[in-house]
Amino acid sequence: MDKITFTKFIIDPKIFWSNFILLGIFILIGFGCSHYMELEGHYVTGMNNQIVWGLPHIFAVLLIVIASGVLNIASISSVFDKKLYKPLAPLSALLAISFLIAGLAILVLDLGRPNRLIVAMTTYNFVSIFSWNIFLYSGFAVVLAAYIWTMLDREVNKYSKFMGTFAFGWRIILTTGTGSIFGFLVAREAYSTAILAPLFIVMSLLYGTAVYYLVLRIISKFHNTYIPKDVLDNLKKLSVMFLFANLYFLGLYHVTNMYIAKHWDFEIFILSSGGIYTLSFWLGQVIIGIVLPIIILSSNKFGTHLALTIASFLILLGSFIAMYVIIIGGQAYPLTIFPDHIIIDSSFYDNVVHSYIPSIYEFGLGIGGVALALIITLIGIANFKFLPTMISSSHSSEPSDKTTGS
Amino acid sequence: MRNSAELTRREFIVKSVTAISAVYIIPDLIPKAVAAKPLDLEVSAKTKWAINVDVNKCVDGCTACVEACVDENGLYGFDRPETDSQWIRKLQIKDIKTDKVTTLPMMCQHCENPPCVDVCPTGASFRREDGIVMVNQHTCIGCRYCMMACPFKARSFVHENLTEQVTSAPRGKGCVESCNLCVNRIDHGSETTACEEACMKEGHHAITFGDLADPNSRVSLAMQAKPSRRLREDLKLKQRVTYSGF
Amino acid sequence: MSQLTKILAISIMVFIPISSYSHDDGKHSLIGESKADKLDQCVEPTEVMQKEHFEFLYHQRENTVEKGIRTKNHSLANCIDCHVSHDEKGKAIPVNAEGQFCQTCHVKTAVNIDCFSCHATVPRDNSSKIKSTGHNQNIHIESTANNLVEYYKETNYEK
Repeated sequence: MDKITFTKFIIDPKIFWSNFILLGIFILIGFGCSHYMELEGHYVTGMNNQIVWGLPHIFAVLLIVIASGVLNIASISSVFDKKLYKPLAPLSALLAISFLIAGLAILVLDLGRPNRLIVAMTTYNFVSIFSWNIFLYSGFAVVLAAYIWTMLDREVNKYSKFMGTFAFGWRIILTTGTGSIFGFLVAREAYSTAILAPLFIVMSLLYGTAVYYLVLRIISKFHNTYIPKDVLDNLKKLSVMFLFANLYFLGLYHVTNMYIAKHWDFEIFILSSGGIYTLSFWLGQVIIGIVLPIIILSSNKFGTHLALTIASFLILLGSFIAMYVIIIGGQAYPLTIFPDHIIIDSSFYDNVVHSYIPSIYEFGLGIGGVALALIITLIGIANFKFLPTMISSSHSSEPSDKTTGS
Repeated sequence: MRNSAELTRREFIVKSVTAISAVYIIPDLIPKAVAAKPLDLEVSAKTKWAINVDVNKCVDGCTACVEACVDENGLYGFDRPETDSQWIRKLQIKDIKTDKVTTLPMMCQHCENPPCVDVCPTGASFRREDGIVMVNQHTCIGCRYCMMACPFKARSFVHENLTEQVTSAPRGKGCVESCNLCVNRIDHGSETTACEEACMKEGHHAITFGDLADPNSRVSLAMQAKPSRRLREDLKLKQRVTYSGF
Repeated sequence: MSQLTKILAISIMVFIPISSYSHDDGKHSLIGESKADKLDQCVEPTEVMQKEHFEFLYHQRENTVEKGIRTKNHSLANCIDCHVSHDEKGKAIPVNAEGQFCQTCHVKTAVNIDCFSCHATVPRDNSSKIKSTGHNQNIHIESTANNLVEYYKETNYEK
């Protein structure tokens, strides 16, 4: 344990500042977009009374799910005592904190009345899962901060395992909470099922691992370090496992929905007749997000690094589309207000599949959020000792993978 | 943004609202006829406001209730039907088995177990003691979770800056709103909502409003006269708005 | 961002006891005349109103929205009824317009008012006119009420 030493992110100031400014510009654009939306009202966005949650929520939920998932590495190292991952744990916790903050920032800036944030933080309705999530999210940030402290400060290092386990438990509850935001909506056929909670958990595991790998890879490009082979093999194995778990829960979700007679129409909509939503589901969520990564990770044609990089990209692309299908697709299907009746005429679009064309402002806000997550990470690793000086391999001592930093 | 034709419409609206306000909003002018509750008394569960809709009396093509609601609450839109608020709307539905076509008004169903109240993070969406489900727009943060939760699509989000609000129905950008059973009128002693009044004036009498706790109220009598049902009864929300005749 | 600044400003104004700007002459607004101009004091002594009018409004809004209490003394609609100015043609000028009752003071003390993004800024629907022709209006009300009663009778609920 004592052998692990950590260092700051040592990088050419020019590269640091150019990245910093680039991300900063995106963040400013994000703030600008949200300010414009607040000033003009939400009619400038693609959201309306039919699709009430849009692109900002896709970004926000995705970032929060990733925040929980990216803590995998730290959890594995402290909860399951995998020495292999010990050196990588602090970065994992830092990423979790920054993605969480970014996700929450998007969520808050998309509110109709962001200036009433103080109301949201002082008035609670404890029946609402949303309120519980406010506690879960803010609590998670505190737990993570404490966890990082125990990992980095030798004097309190003995509590690290305890904090790690605590954070692990918290993140499972947190993702359950996030899934339940949708799972508790009895009104909508897409959502009213408890399976959404475990589905969100496996999604978080998968997406978090992919993000972690990509960030590690980018850092290793600049920071003269290498990722040992057994870490890579392990990440690969984990990813494949999570992919299958995802496939399983996704299947389970749809099969369960099909067994609920009232949800049958919705299943037909998503799986076969929903146009863009059906296409997104099959091509985006299933093929790009799950099947292709499984094939790439299982075949031996690619080097480990290349396979993981491509697969992680595909997984993240798929994750975005998966959120689109869940959040937008779930709202696009009209409500069944009158069972056994069809609605012929309505002035309020009760009888049509809603379409959603996001505006540039929502997109700007979302991208700004992603930039916020990255800039927090960048500032974190540049100023505090998060990175291991040497990621040692526990089984073999020789560096086996050659595709390391330049 | 509005053309002159609409301006005259507004004048008309102002005039009709004036007439209505003469009756309901200025209670001290009104003889005792409709004074239900002293103004300084809290509402209590002893009153159970409810609406019954007899769909057989509802006339296809008539939108009197919708127009009355727009006038009463100042719901002037921006000609953007996807984002403009609708507190009450007319629907035409067809029975799959019998092909029977029915037309009916749809609004907040004022559930006794309202999903919108359960999910609201700040408690802004709340149910008043007398059963009116409404939004406290002082604490609504505009998260729209209640709109996701409502099985009847009863809620609207205010998507833009408003300027033409009426005194009896404050509403503004960034908050969610929905039918509140003309709460201002009711609290000032009115025994009828704008939609019911309009429906009566048209001579259709499809909408009946009243106090369920009083067995002789109009709504109680209407519900005794005909079997009524709630929409989506499988959700067990116990709506106060019931439908008869389909 | 400007909202955050506003929140900050509001909280500063709430927590620091202030003596608002003086109230030496009777006239409240710079343009037009209001009913309030002719009265000695508001619903509470002027000094109390200056410092605590927001407390009253805040208290009233909770009572009104949540409990359905519709007393008039501290209701915002009543404030506007009395404090709104009318121009030469007798048309009401919005209370939050420049130089008007609310705005004059709030600009001076740099406190943002959030009331009027939702609440009407002119009195409820020409109520002053109604009062002036009270007699005719009463007849009109009677007839409307009678009409309603007729409608109830016509319905076949008794069956």
